[in-house]
Amino acid sequence: MSKHTHIKRSVDMQIIADWIEPGSRVLDLGCGRGVLLDYLVQTKQIHAVGVDLDFDKISACVRRGLTAYQGDMMSLMRALPENHFDRVICSRTLEELPDPGAIIEQALRIGKTVTVGFVNHGYWKNRAAAFFLGRKPRNAVYTTAWFESRPTNPASIADFEDFCALRQLKIARHAHLSGDWKSRNSLLPNLLAGYALYDLTR
Amino acid sequence: MNDADDDIPSATRSEPGEVGLVEPRDFITTEPFTFDNGQTTPGFTLRYETYGRPNAARDNAILIFHALSGDHHCAGIHSLNDRKPGWWNNLIGPGKAVDTNKFFVLCSNVIGGCQGSSGPSSIDPRTGKPYGITFPSVTIRDMVRTQKLWLDSIGITSIYAAIGGSMGGMQVLQWSIEYPSFVKRALAMATTAREGAQAIAFNEVGRQAILQDPEWNHGYYPKSGGPRVGLAIARMMAHITYLSDASMDRKFGRKAVAAHRKPSPASDVSELSMEGIDPVAPAATFDVRFEVESYLRYQGQSFINRFDANSYLYITRALDQFDLAATHGSLEAAFAEVQAATLVIGFTSDWLFPPDQNRDIALALLRAGKRVSYAELSTDLGHDSFLLESPQLYDLVRGFLN
Repeated sequence: MSKHTHIKRSVDMQIIADWIEPGSRVLDLGCGRGVLLDYLVQTKQIHAVGVDLDFDKISACVRRGLTAYQGDMMSLMRALPENHFDRVICSRTLEELPDPGAIIEQALRIGKTVTVGFVNHGYWKNRAAAFFLGRKPRNAVYTTAWFESRPTNPASIADFEDFCALRQLKIARHAHLSGDWKSRNSLLPNLLAGYALYDLTR
Repeated sequence: MNDADDDIPSATRSEPGEVGLVEPRDFITTEPFTFDNGQTTPGFTLRYETYGRPNAARDNAILIFHALSGDHHCAGIHSLNDRKPGWWNNLIGPGKAVDTNKFFVLCSNVIGGCQGSSGPSSIDPRTGKPYGITFPSVTIRDMVRTQKLWLDSIGITSIYAAIGGSMGGMQVLQWSIEYPSFVKRALAMATTAREGAQAIAFNEVGRQAILQDPEWNHGYYPKSGGPRVGLAIARMMAHITYLSDASMDRKFGRKAVAAHRKPSPASDVSELSMEGIDPVAPAATFDVRFEVESYLRYQGQSFINRFDANSYLYITRALDQFDLAATHGSLEAAFAEVQAATLVIGFTSDWLFPPDQNRDIALALLRAGKRVSYAELSTDLGHDSFLLESPQLYDLVRGFLN
C-alpha cells in the first residue's frame, strides 16, 4: 500500500468509525483482509463479521482475530434474519458488484443502517479522462488498466442519490471528500468530490 | 475485494521439527459410565498421547479428535523403525501449525473403538469375555463425555482449542455445546452437523457387508477372526468416499497392474488379495487388473489387521445418528450456549461432507450470534483433503490459533 493510499484509506476509516455506535454488530461486505474491521474493533469494540469470496483474504482476517465468512455476500445475507446487524458496511465494494441495488436492499433488511462508500465516478478527473483522453480513468482507486481491473459498475454521486430517491431509501447522513480525500467537500460534490460515504436507513 | 489493502507478510518460519518418539498412555476409570442410551459399563479405558507440555496456567491444551478409523496416535513415531508417523504429523509438531513448542497437544481414541480404548472387543469385567455387541451403543456425545472425564483426571480445566476433521469435527462441535465454558476455540473441518442421506447410505452398505458375512456371527467372534471379508469390503467402499474422481484418476487412472503378471502364489497381487475373500475365484478374469483395484484391496487388507468389525458398526452408527438440529430442535438452538470462537473449514471436492454442510454449521452459529468464521479450501482431493499437506490450510490453522 502506498503512503498516499494509506492516508486516503485512514480518512475513510475515520469517518466510518465516527458514525458507528461503540459495541454494535457490524457486517462488512467485501471485507478484504480485514483492515477496516480490525480498525473498528480496535477503536469501537464492535462485534465484527466480514464476508469475502477469497480464501486468502478470509485467512488474513482469521489471522487478525476477526471472524469472516468465505462466500457470496448475497447468499450470506439471505441466510440471516432481519435486523441481525446494527450496521452493514459496503465500502469500496459497490463498484465491483453486478447488482448493487439488490445488495443494498438485502443489506437494509439484515442491518438497521447501511454504510455505503464509493468512488465518485462523476469526479472531474474521471470525467476528463473520458472526455479529453477517451480513456477509462486511472487514479488512486482505478489503479489498473481496463483489461485487468475489477471496478465494473462505477456510479457517480448523482447516480447514487437518484437511486436512493427512487427506492425511497433515507439518507441519514453523508460525507463527500475532495479529490485529495483528506478534506470534506460540500461544493458541487458530483463534480468536485472524489469519494462519497452515505448512511442509509429504511 | 478491497485490493488496496495490504497485509504484513507472515514472518519467516523456522524449519518445523518433529515430535519424535511418543508413547501412548491409558486413562482407566472404574467409575461406572452411563451411556446416552442408559446402559452402563463398569468404567472404561481411553488410550491417548500428548505432545508438548502444559504451561504453568495449564491453559495451553489443544485437543485433537480423530476420524472414523483414526486413533490416538496423531503425531510423532512409536519407534525408530516406524515407517509412518501419526496421522496428523504434518500439522502437529514443534514449529508446525499446531505448534508443540507452545501448546500441550492431546489426542485420545474414542470409546467404542478398538485401538486401546474400551469398545466391543474389550473384556467385560463382569463376564470375563469380550463385550461384543453387548457393548452399549455409542454416540458422539458419549465420546465427548468420556474425554471430559479423562481431561478432568489429568487436571486440564480449559481447552485452548479443539480441532478435528470429519467425525473429529463432530466431536469439536459437541464439545463446545456440552462444555461451553471449557472450550476457547473450536476448529471443525470437513464435517457436518448431520449427515446427508448419501453418507448414511454408504455407511449402511459397509455395515451390511459386515453383518452379512457369516463370520460376523451376531457379533461373537474370536479376536483374530470375525467378518474379515465384510470389514475389508466396508473399508474399500468407504475409502472411495474419502477420495475424489480427480484424485483417483491422477493417482491410478486406468493403469494396469504391472504387466498383469501370471498369477503365481508369491506375486504381490495374490498377497494383496484378501485372505479368504476369493478361495474359489473364477479363474483369472477377475484377478486384479487395475492399480486402483490393487490399492483398494491393500486398503481393505491392512484395515482388517488393525480394526475391529464391531467397532466399525458402532462408530458408523454414532456418525449416522449425530444430528444436532434434531437433538436440540434446531441448529441455532444447539449452538445457543456456545462460547468458543469457531472456525469451520470446508473442502470443495469433499463429496462425503460437502462444503454446504460445513457452511450450514457456520451460518447457524452466525444466526445464533456467535463468533464464527468459514473458509473453503479449493482442493480436488476429496474428503481426505483435511489430512493432506496444504500450506494454505496450515496458515489458516496457525492464524486461528495465534
